[in-house]
Amino acid sequence: MIKTVQYNIVCENKPGVLYRVANILLKRKINIETLTAHPVDSKKISTINFTTNIEESKIDTIAKQIKKIIEVIDVNYLVIS
Amino acid sequence: MKITGAKAVIQSLINEKVEVIFGYPGGANMPIYDALYDYQNKIRHVLVRHEQGAAHAAEGYARVSGKVGVCFATSGPGATNLVTGIADAMMDSVPLVCITGQVPVSVVGTDAFQETDVIGITTPITKWNYQITSASEIADVFAKAFYIARTGRPGPVVIDITKNAQFEEVDFYYPKNFSLEKYKNLNKCTKEKIEKAAEIINQSKKPLLIAGHGVIISGAQNELLKLAEKANLPIAVTLHGLSSIPVNHPLYVGMVGMHGNYAVNKLTNQADLIIGVGMRFDDRVTGVLSKYAPKAKVIHIDIDEAEIDKNVKTTVSLVGDVKEVLTSLLSHIKKNSHKDWFFEFEKLGKEEKRFHQKREEKFKDKITMDKVFEILSKKTNGKAIIVADVGQNQMFAAKYYQYKIFNSYITSGGLGTMGFALPASIGVQLAKPTDLVIASCGDGGLQMTIQELGTIMQEKLPIKILLLNNYYLGMVRQWQDLFFEKRYSFTYMENPDFLKIASGYGIKGKRVNDFSQLEKSLEEFINEKSAYLLEVIVEKEHNVFPMVPQGAAVDEVRLE
Repeated sequence: MIKTVQYNIVCENKPGVLYRVANILLKRKINIETLTAHPVDSKKISTINFTTNIEESKIDTIAKQIKKIIEVIDVNYLVIS
Repeated sequence: MKITGAKAVIQSLINEKVEVIFGYPGGANMPIYDALYDYQNKIRHVLVRHEQGAAHAAEGYARVSGKVGVCFATSGPGATNLVTGIADAMMDSVPLVCITGQVPVSVVGTDAFQETDVIGITTPITKWNYQITSASEIADVFAKAFYIARTGRPGPVVIDITKNAQFEEVDFYYPKNFSLEKYKNLNKCTKEKIEKAAEIINQSKKPLLIAGHGVIISGAQNELLKLAEKANLPIAVTLHGLSSIPVNHPLYVGMVGMHGNYAVNKLTNQADLIIGVGMRFDDRVTGVLSKYAPKAKVIHIDIDEAEIDKNVKTTVSLVGDVKEVLTSLLSHIKKNSHKDWFFEFEKLGKEEKRFHQKREEKFKDKITMDKVFEILSKKTNGKAIIVADVGQNQMFAAKYYQYKIFNSYITSGGLGTMGFALPASIGVQLAKPTDLVIASCGDGGLQMTIQELGTIMQEKLPIKILLLNNYYLGMVRQWQDLFFEKRYSFTYMENPDFLKIASGYGIKGKRVNDFSQLEKSLEEFINEKSAYLLEVIVEKEHNVFPMVPQGAAVDEVRLE
């Protein structure tokens, strides 16, 4: 079943992180519906939030794959609908 | 004292105890090569004939030495030629650090001569990559790169260094004991999880343990055997798990997957427990997922959390280094016996043998690849390192050579890269200079990287090249035979005189096409002191069985 999911990523504020996240989605032909990214506090850390419509069985796998990115500190997700 | 960025690169490699580099110089990495000129007594540089060869050679080196494989390439085509090897290393969890030159930062993004977006191209196929644009970054980035490549689930890292950074001067301090927070707590097994897994193992009546590449990477063969012996578990292996334990071990039941053993595939779907150890349940292992091991609980042990529940849903997952997890499990495991269950493996194993013999009667006194590996196995007592290419030769090498020493079957499993074996065998032989290293190639695969004969010549490596020539792209032809009504669409190959090619590189060789000469020829082959090419003309239309057709369940495995 397709679900709408919001992923929240905390990562180092460095070039290329968003590219790696996008690659994980592209490889599985998953589209990004909304996207925001902004630095927090010291500007050394950034948060990336995106929503996507995704097959239920893939939700957790995507989070785990994103977590493997070296610059990513933490990933959480919220199933919206 | 200030040194150039190029020298800082070499100093960083020395700090990482790098002994061998596989590479190819060009415009954008010339300063690094100039710096290397002064360190030839500390680092051996192997000049390959194509950058793909550098990546595969570094893979071969890494896989048998347990160290990080290192390669150099220039910008543009040099870097793009590495891509196949990097992708191969990513799929097979091989630690590599690939160092590519890049155009000066002042012209990056201007489509300068030999500029290509190496970071963009390699992002999906690397664990990490980074472009260095200033010499001050070199030491820290190298320490991080080597740490990432070898830690956790190993993999390839690319460092792209702009030419200006190679010329700049910098104070060089190499970080000591670099580590990343991310990799500090890889072992995520709680006491509860260990106990639950142990309880399931203790209660299981029909367990099957599947050992994968992780057992070899982790060096967990002893822990694996201790656990399996105590619980009396049948041990199967994946293609990359092959040679993790000796194939003559009493608990060994065979290989899983598309060309795995009949009994193992059949009984996977009868098992009440699958214990996946350092493996990833890929499609070639599981067949159609919806019909995989329907009666079994699944315990999955792996260092990569993202592999858990990716393909097969687990009952208990144990994330951590295989060796550590198996050690924690052992004390909770009770002595057990599964005599009747083992008997089923034996029974079906006999059936496979019977079909094999029946099939082989058709090829009596003809040379087939299985006979080549059977004889080779006897002659070497199962103690050679076989570096197999991709296709029929790879499967016959896996099935009919009796691997008795640890980590002695090296092949391209995940990516299935034709042309892997010849360059990879260069790295293997350099890491194991006194071992008998045999590169097993088909006529198709050999011609994909045949130029590396030049590297073997220049480095004077005693590699034995076993060319199994059937004048076909054999595995594709087999699929055409079985699934495309024998419509052999563009799989037939007119081949050159391979012996003349070898001879051009100063490599001795022999062609054998008469079965009565095979044994003697193989004996000469393994006893030769220097590099040698043995071309064996094998049966043209001979197929690998058993086979699980694509899209079928593992227990729909075909014997003919």
